[in-house]
Amino acid sequence: MKHKVLYVLVLASLILAACGGAPANAPSVVHVGWAGSPDTLNPGLAILTEAYTIFELVYDSMYDLNLDGSFSLSLAESVERSEDGLVYTYKIKDGIKWHDGKPLTAEDIAFSYNLYKDTPEYPYLNGYYTPYFSSVEAVGNEVILTLTEAIPNIESQLVFLYILPKHIWENENKIEFENTAMIGSGPFKMAEYVQNEFVRLAANKEHFATPPKVAEVIFQTFENQDALVQAIKTGQMDMITEMPSTAVASLKTAENVEVVVGAPFAPGVSDIIFNQTEEENCPTPEEGGICTGHPALRDRNVRLAMSHATDKQKLIDVVLLGLGAPGLTLIPNGLGVWYNNSLKDYEFDVAKANQILDDAGYLDTDGDKIRELPDGSRPLTFRLNWPSDSITAPRMAELLSEMWGAIGISLEMQAVDPDALTSQCCPAFDFDIMLWGWASDPDPSALLYVYTSEAVPTGSSETGYSNPAYDDLYAKQQTELDFEARKTIVWEMQKIVHDDVVYIIPYYEQATQAYRTDRFTGWIANQAKVELSDTSSLVFIEPIK
Amino acid sequence: MNRTRALLKKIAWSAFTVLFVIILNFFLFRILPGDPARAGIRDPRLKKEAVEMLRVRFGLDKPVINCFESLNPIKVGSCAVNPLDTQFFIYTRNLFQGELGISYHTNRPVADILAERLWNTVLLIGAGQILSIIIGVVFGIFAAWKARTSVDYSAVIASLLVWSLPTFWLAILLLFWGSNNGLPLAGKSTPGSSSLPLIQQWVDIARHMLLPTLTYTIVYMGEYTLIMRSSLMDVLSEDYILTAKAKGLSTFQILKDHALKNAMLPLVTVIAINLGFTVAGAIQIEAVFSWPGLGGAIVEALGRRDFPVLQGAFLLIAVTVIFANLLADLTYSYLDPRVKVD
Repeated sequence: MKHKVLYVLVLASLILAACGGAPANAPSVVHVGWAGSPDTLNPGLAILTEAYTIFELVYDSMYDLNLDGSFSLSLAESVERSEDGLVYTYKIKDGIKWHDGKPLTAEDIAFSYNLYKDTPEYPYLNGYYTPYFSSVEAVGNEVILTLTEAIPNIESQLVFLYILPKHIWENENKIEFENTAMIGSGPFKMAEYVQNEFVRLAANKEHFATPPKVAEVIFQTFENQDALVQAIKTGQMDMITEMPSTAVASLKTAENVEVVVGAPFAPGVSDIIFNQTEEENCPTPEEGGICTGHPALRDRNVRLAMSHATDKQKLIDVVLLGLGAPGLTLIPNGLGVWYNNSLKDYEFDVAKANQILDDAGYLDTDGDKIRELPDGSRPLTFRLNWPSDSITAPRMAELLSEMWGAIGISLEMQAVDPDALTSQCCPAFDFDIMLWGWASDPDPSALLYVYTSEAVPTGSSETGYSNPAYDDLYAKQQTELDFEARKTIVWEMQKIVHDDVVYIIPYYEQATQAYRTDRFTGWIANQAKVELSDTSSLVFIEPIK
Repeated sequence: MNRTRALLKKIAWSAFTVLFVIILNFFLFRILPGDPARAGIRDPRLKKEAVEMLRVRFGLDKPVINCFESLNPIKVGSCAVNPLDTQFFIYTRNLFQGELGISYHTNRPVADILAERLWNTVLLIGAGQILSIIIGVVFGIFAAWKARTSVDYSAVIASLLVWSLPTFWLAILLLFWGSNNGLPLAGKSTPGSSSLPLIQQWVDIARHMLLPTLTYTIVYMGEYTLIMRSSLMDVLSEDYILTAKAKGLSTFQILKDHALKNAMLPLVTVIAINLGFTVAGAIQIEAVFSWPGLGGAIVEALGRRDFPVLQGAFLLIAVTVIFANLLADLTYSYLDPRVKVD
């Protein structure tokens, strides 16, 4: 009986499968599968990377960020910087049009920059990208941007400030505006959007620089990564932006599927965080400071020994199935020139690690295989926490417990809800060790900031590390206009924090994406960084005839 | 007259329960650790001032209620603040004005989000419930009528088996099987199908619904089969059934006129309870098939400490459960006059 019912259902499904009209399966519609959905289409308020992916395609900005990490002018044909580095004059290209046909002018650009500058409710675009803006004016076809301070990284400050149409935004409440129609000027225009289901973009064949060769791109949300992998195997998707590392091997052998592995477009880094907050730099109770860290972790010797006892290659092989590179500091190799590749990592050497702890006086006096503080008052037993939504952290925690157990350090391990972890973390410093990570900007400044003393009470510092020499260099690189000089400072900063063993950076994870080879050709997959959902690929691919 | 009063009493109790839920909802989420202004955001670019601005935008800069600045960590504040200027008052006032608020995470009205998601969930779970009830009841009747035969035993074993299947496991198997047969893997409609004629749109949604509905039906029909079977077997052992048989009534007549109505009672309870949970959705099924339902919305909102969405969704669920229970009570007295509404 049950079989009969199943049989009927199977039959029904086949009939439906046969007659179902899938209009979007037309040859020049690109199906992208991803595991998220934009939080909001209002660029000022958006936080998720999925939102930024859509902004990149629908809007233009002053600069394009290329896959090799360089910047090129987009809306402007030329830029002039004043002698003192304070005034930038952009000459805007002629004939650029909004998706609704109206011309895009210098007025729109000045309006957009002033909008971001004057709206403190915009968490990133105001808080991080416009603080150096003094004034922005449109004069004829020129935009004149005056800064309060000369900064070296104007490109990365402007690249995420998307240009919005003045004629639409000036009439809207800039905080409540949902912007679902999303009139922009970019290579794609918004066709249809259902949150948490899909984003359908149509080609803007009149785009001034890079008109797409396909007709549409559809971003389909998958809440389940196995389904995402299955979708590219069966050809329901033409490209997927992420996959579990366990799926890489099987996808590599799948027919008509090409897997791309490389540094992620948005630099990301995983970190093992040591709470080393000293009493004197613990944030005040009003700021939320609690500071219950284990005193042993304030000792560089302990952190150094733990570094020597950490087998990074094993972590990469087991946790990432090999898809990563050993890490050094928070500045990942994906940041290109900013990454200090001259640093030599602490080699994996358990005997040496034991020796360091012996010499520093951390001995196992009671014979329980766990070392104690030199005064014998407390064992080296650390709390280890990680966000419960992490797939990789539980495996890493287990391996670390084994590795550090070999040098007489024991761990109390617990996964914690990410929000609870945030409130334990910073600026409370109510933990010993955490496993977490960062994603960031193309410019190293954001990640370098995490190590500063200034970041301790604000919640950006995770370690409570404080070093005046480092802070000075941070301030210096912020305003160093000479590229080589700035690079030297940034490299020097990495050396300082590596020498001080502020973190153990287990690895820099690689991005894994995949595309179908039988439907579209022209995917840009040979660059330093991998991002197939970037304009660079989506405007170049064309259907295979 | 008495009946009406008893009914009014029941309704009043339901209303009281809803009120209690409204208050509980507010405090429940604020006791959770975590800060909505920083939840889900880990980015060194987020400056302290920006976090402060987010708090102001969400109204979290105001005290939770008189005497308490916040509940986790517990921060005692001034008791002399204007109660009209506390989060609790603003929440209740907005609620009684029919305002569910704006989602912190998506910046959209909560009512819009819930309406969208509720409809998707009702569509999916409604279809699954109806199918599993029909199939389960039919199987249960067969098993009870053919009690202690091989038909009965296979029905019981099959029911126990499907009832104990892990939902996500069955869902994944069906997902793989379906996708190899051309069924869609995610979502509830094909992007771009909204421009098609209505009938084709429905066919498209049906294609997307097929696998999740099938999963739901398989998992739940076992429960209904077992309950229907045992309840019907009880009834069939009654003397009046023997009498009916002795009168020479056909099997169909005995079942239809004498046994079924009495055997439905326990099933109504289970259906009512399950209907209540319909709104919360089958979170696992939604997650495997990327079905944009209410369950997924709740999980996501919880991760982001999106209080307005959580409050709205929990209120919705509570109201549905309470309403379903009320309905079950009323149906009882109709099905079995011995059960008085009192």
